[in-house]
Amino acid sequence: MDRIQCQWCQAQNEMSQTNCATCGAPLDVKDKVSDSGWTEAPRLRDMTEFRFSNSTCQIEGEIVPVAELALAQGDSVFFEHHVMLWKEPQVPMSALNTGGGMKRTLGGMPHILSVAHGPGRVAFSRDAAGEVVVLPLHPSMELDVREHAFLAGTHSLTYSFVRIKGLVNVLHGGSGMYMDRFVTQAQPGLLLLHGYGNVFQKTLQPGEQILIEPGGFLYKDSTVSMNAVQQKIKTGLMSRGMYLAEMTGPGRVGIQSMYVHHGSE
Amino acid sequence: MSMPPAQGAYTCPYCRMTGQGQDATCPHCGAPVDVRLHVSDSGWIEQPPIRDMARIRFGRSTCQISGAYVPVADMGLHDDDWVYFSHHVLLHTDPRVNLDNLPMRGGWKRMRAGLPLIMMRARGPGHIAFSADEPGETLAVPLRLGQAVDVAEHRFLVATGNVGYEWDNSNVWFTTKDGDDEEWHYPVGRTIDRFTAAGSHGLLLLHAPGNTFIRDLAAGQRILIQPGGLIWKDPTVSMFLHFEYPHGQYWFSSPRWQAKSTWLALQGPGRIAVQSVFERPEQVGSVRRSSPATQQAW
Repeated sequence: MDRIQCQWCQAQNEMSQTNCATCGAPLDVKDKVSDSGWTEAPRLRDMTEFRFSNSTCQIEGEIVPVAELALAQGDSVFFEHHVMLWKEPQVPMSALNTGGGMKRTLGGMPHILSVAHGPGRVAFSRDAAGEVVVLPLHPSMELDVREHAFLAGTHSLTYSFVRIKGLVNVLHGGSGMYMDRFVTQAQPGLLLLHGYGNVFQKTLQPGEQILIEPGGFLYKDSTVSMNAVQQKIKTGLMSRGMYLAEMTGPGRVGIQSMYVHHGSE
Repeated sequence: MSMPPAQGAYTCPYCRMTGQGQDATCPHCGAPVDVRLHVSDSGWIEQPPIRDMARIRFGRSTCQISGAYVPVADMGLHDDDWVYFSHHVLLHTDPRVNLDNLPMRGGWKRMRAGLPLIMMRARGPGHIAFSADEPGETLAVPLRLGQAVDVAEHRFLVATGNVGYEWDNSNVWFTTKDGDDEEWHYPVGRTIDRFTAAGSHGLLLLHAPGNTFIRDLAAGQRILIQPGGLIWKDPTVSMFLHFEYPHGQYWFSSPRWQAKSTWLALQGPGRIAVQSVFERPEQVGSVRRSSPATQQAW
């Protein structure tokens, strides 16, 4: 039987499908790849629906999209409480203690993640124009995500957080002090992110490097290393040189085209 | 603005450069070739967004625009070409692209105006990309040899090396009284940028929040716009303030207090571009002194 492979998440789909059943990416439009090798995250059509485990996710709206989840019995998702747009009253909630205590306080990250359990509906969105990025994670994958950028993760994902190494990276990297880390074990998982503006992804070969503005960093495979490197360029009277994030492959790097500063987070 | 010499069959209605019209988008400004001109009843032309992945050519290099909400201008720079920009719009770059500084004159004045003191310069070969931090449109303004445009503060994204950059006082200001203090207001910013193509044709990229509209003003024709809505204008277009004072019922809604509308009057001949997102003008006290201005009470 003929199948179509989704160019975004590599899942196999039936020929009759117009959207990938795993990540919602349109299957009937060509991938958009720039001359420099950045792939534009697929623009999810309004009301696109896709499945994970026994549940479904529907993407609504286009400027600040909403991810609406219909959770089946036995399924759950975790998220930072400020991204929850609405929920049905009967949806059972619980808390996921992240550990880390004072470290997370210093990093401006929440101590507790909220968990919504099925059955019931719950919806998530963020606070500025952008795109929902759907990242199905195959077994034994590790993905590092900019803090506060994830909308929701499915119950099969293991959540932890990693400190961005190096004082220079923390002070000058502009990516915060920690990154969220999502790991899959034997089961696949699904991660929903929100990127400000437009989102682009590039796969770096081993040793291949690219410099990105730290505010533009969104996610990376844990195999990609990130270091803040100072450029010998003045940006003001007193400044000694700007820092860029040097990403070294192998692995995927995701960036967002707009930076929104969250001083209060 | 005069028309460029006719070299091809197609003249882009947005940038007025000529070409063969065989591509889906204008090679000079990226505007779609195959869409109808959208003109409002009042004469504003809606500038169509540059299509995703459209390519613009300049020198021996290309600029590819990708994304729709906050577009990215991804430049493939040839060895012979360079561009300059303010550091905060840099999104990513190949490590092989050579970055250095392009100093600006008038450091203290620029600092007071909130403008970057130092521009960055990127030399090819390699890819380098730029984006702004607001949803809106990226505008490509190709400049013929010797052509100049005046651009409002903070709209500049990146320009090719052969585009000269100067800035001057906007000369659009007024003062109000706050107690014993005199407060100064600059509705279009303290300064205005002027970009001029020198030596050869050049390319200027701007970013405007919201949607963009352009129109031509005939000689002597005037239009009033929100001061924060100006993106760019031909240097032949003059600008000054216009105050309107509605007659309110109460003492606190009288012109002596703060009931007024502050407009930017633009007078042709020449072309202007405005954006649909603008900052709300300040409503503070009565005007004491101002740059040349007209007024009307109603």
